Amino acid sequence: MNRDKIVMSVTAVLLLTVPFWAGYVGGYTDLASRVLIYALAAMGLNLLLGFTGGLSFGHAAYFGLGAYGTGLMLDYETSNTLLALLVGTLTGGLAALMLGPIAVRRRGIYFSMITIAIGQMFYFIAVRWNSVTGGEDGLTGFSRQPVFGLPLNSTQFYYMVLFFFIVGALLLWTILNSPLGHTFVAIRENQKRLTFLGIRVDRYVALSFAISGLVCALAGGLNALLDNFASPDDLRYTLSGDFLIIAVLGGMRNFWGPLVGAAIFVLVQNYVSAITQNWMTVIGLVFVLSVIFFPLGVLGFFRRRSET
Amino acid sequence: MLLDVIFNAFNGLIVGSFYALMAIGLSLILGLNGVINFAHGGFMALAAYFAFTLVPYVGFWGALIIAPLLAGAVGYAVEQLIIRRLYLRDPLYSLLATFGLALIMQDLMRTIWGAQGLPLAIPDFLNQPVSEVYFFVTGYRIFVVALAILSTGALFAVLRYTRLGVRIRAGNADLETIAALGVNIYLLRSANFVLGIMFAGLAGILAAGQLGLTPTMGDSLIMPSFVAIVVGGVGSLLGSLLGGLIIGVASGITTAFYPAASEVVIYLIMGVMLIVRPRGLFGQEGLFE
Amino acid sequence: MNLLQLKNVSRRFGALTALNNISLSVEQGELRAVIGPNGAGKTTLFNLISGFFPPSDGEILFEGAPIGAVNPAALVKKGIIRTFQITEVFLSLTVYENLRVAVETAMGLNIRPWISRGLRAAINRRVDELMDIVNIAPKAHRIVGEMSHGDQRVVEVGIALSRQPKLLLLDEPTAGMGDEETNHMTGLIRSLNKAQKISILFIEHDMNIVFGVADRITVLDNGTMLAEGNAAEIAANPRVQSAYLGAAA
Repeated sequence: MNRDKIVMSVTAVLLLTVPFWAGYVGGYTDLASRVLIYALAAMGLNLLLGFTGGLSFGHAAYFGLGAYGTGLMLDYETSNTLLALLVGTLTGGLAALMLGPIAVRRRGIYFSMITIAIGQMFYFIAVRWNSVTGGEDGLTGFSRQPVFGLPLNSTQFYYMVLFFFIVGALLLWTILNSPLGHTFVAIRENQKRLTFLGIRVDRYVALSFAISGLVCALAGGLNALLDNFASPDDLRYTLSGDFLIIAVLGGMRNFWGPLVGAAIFVLVQNYVSAITQNWMTVIGLVFVLSVIFFPLGVLGFFRRRSET
Repeated sequence: MLLDVIFNAFNGLIVGSFYALMAIGLSLILGLNGVINFAHGGFMALAAYFAFTLVPYVGFWGALIIAPLLAGAVGYAVEQLIIRRLYLRDPLYSLLATFGLALIMQDLMRTIWGAQGLPLAIPDFLNQPVSEVYFFVTGYRIFVVALAILSTGALFAVLRYTRLGVRIRAGNADLETIAALGVNIYLLRSANFVLGIMFAGLAGILAAGQLGLTPTMGDSLIMPSFVAIVVGGVGSLLGSLLGGLIIGVASGITTAFYPAASEVVIYLIMGVMLIVRPRGLFGQEGLFE
Repeated sequence: MNLLQLKNVSRRFGALTALNNISLSVEQGELRAVIGPNGAGKTTLFNLISGFFPPSDGEILFEGAPIGAVNPAALVKKGIIRTFQITEVFLSLTVYENLRVAVETAMGLNIRPWISRGLRAAINRRVDELMDIVNIAPKAHRIVGEMSHGDQRVVEVGIALSRQPKLLLLDEPTAGMGDEETNHMTGLIRSLNKAQKISILFIEHDMNIVFGVADRITVLDNGTMLAEGNAAEIAANPRVQSAYLGAAA
């Protein structure tokens, strides 16, 4: 237990001071923002995946909706960054709320396929609806505006991302330690038992779906603000796959797993693409090797070792 | 206008044949190996690239036969090295592993053959249109549709009448039991996987003849292939064939009227099918409901 | 008072008649065993009573009201709780966590993303209470998936108890258990019936348990009811002897 507290404290200190040390390790502040954003998205996804047991392969849809929602708001409607972020988050969350009940009508592989279909639909809408979304070229023409009079350079924006990361994590933590969260986990463990205790399992899975979509959308909005750009790639199934591998890599059954996974994934992607043309092969190998040798993820692996 | 619709519908039929062939392979692998093979598009492209390299030496027909076999060999290696370790696990893992494999394959193909599009030479006599009015109905395209139907029929015959086929069908129903009956399920799973890959390979070569080759050609075909399986019904060969053709034609017709929706319509069809008749056209009832 | 009544109940699956014209009643506070050879229809009977599917003919009454067409979730609310032949618990969770979910569900709190400290304490108290009733408290923080089969079954009974059942259906509660575990389970069943005053209907194959524990016994064979009575009556019944116990006479 003590060791856990030490690790948590060290991590917290590191996260709070990133802008000061990022340069010394060959990184940069925006990279850390990306890690937190992907971590948040993966934590949102993991509520559904690791804790409720629902394999969604289309969660980038909500991420992307958050990105486009935020971007479009800033582009056309407002110069209030926080308001734009709120609208983007709610857009993605609302979509997840409405589409979840459709997806949960079926179980197992069919559930996953519906989530793929939803993701693909949004992707193609973004690609085709040129006039609104900018099509393949993406949505430009907006940038993050000063918040409370403070212009958002990389460092300032990093702290904003950190703030929302903590908010999102706190939300998820509270839920997971509540009767609702206990119900989600029980669904993962044994749906049949819960049904025979009188629970409408599909309703709860839909709720988990909605909350996870909301958190993903928040991450997506932050992502758009990071890049001052949104594109169909934010909705693509390949990004959904990235979030999945991040969750698995870090440890699906662990609350902080996605943070560890995101750090590894983003950093590997960043450094490898700087060294070689074949970074995609490396990422692919990460997928394959972690699934075969590290199914419990990094944190799961360490937890096992400490228990024996 | 009508000609326009027919033109697009026919194009859709061709693309649908590619979807169908992919879907059949995917369905085989999903059924017996229990794996959602995201690398199916990669194998499809790989076979096309093999064909491209072989054509100068053995001609189109030679390549059409040899390339799928080569892709199948790669499939065998993949099954032994990667897929085999994931059989007893949650489907999530094989999905992610094959997803990663797809990334690797795409990157390697790009490295070896380059990122630009390449053409696949098809025999001249197939390139002729069969009619003045319906200029778009070339011999090659008829060949594609015919081959799709024929190979499905051949597979059906194999599954019905050969020992391998019977074992595959039995294994689909209950792998444990046939293992207990002395069937070498390891070999069976490998054979089944290779068979599925060869169908992808066939799709790849035919598609390359029509659309040319790029390292990303698998991407645009894999998702609709999943849809084809769902629409046609998991576990049904005829379902995969018809599912692929139907969504291909539907997408084609949509292109004639409202091009922007030509991809979305595929997923809408799947969504509607999953809500109205989740087993698909010919699937078994109760699966995953 | 009749808690459960089956009147001329039959259940068919296509051409197969699993249960044929069964009439029986279970009284409040009774401890009733259902026995019979494999395929006699015992689990079908349980499935009918717990709402898995409706009867093909006849009616089922619980506390006087018909329940034939009611779904399992609603029957749980009415107080009919069952356990399964294959233990259905939450394997990667601890005993405590298993029961906590059950208690929170029984209290209708599943939807709450946050609860007060007072409620948390109430939940903990109830979980402790349940663990004491089934006598599993010393193992509260062990992971259920790593426990013995017998212990898992006890946890399952604990989960069932969280709903304060009026009628508890135990499907082969001692299946796969060694002597010591069997004793524990039969002791538990007796105590639930006598001390907690729960009406219990259980399927069992072990005759010692049946004769030693049950107030009354219902014998099924091939979908029909062969006999009904207390231990002495059943043991002496010649039809039961030849069909099930092995004709000695």
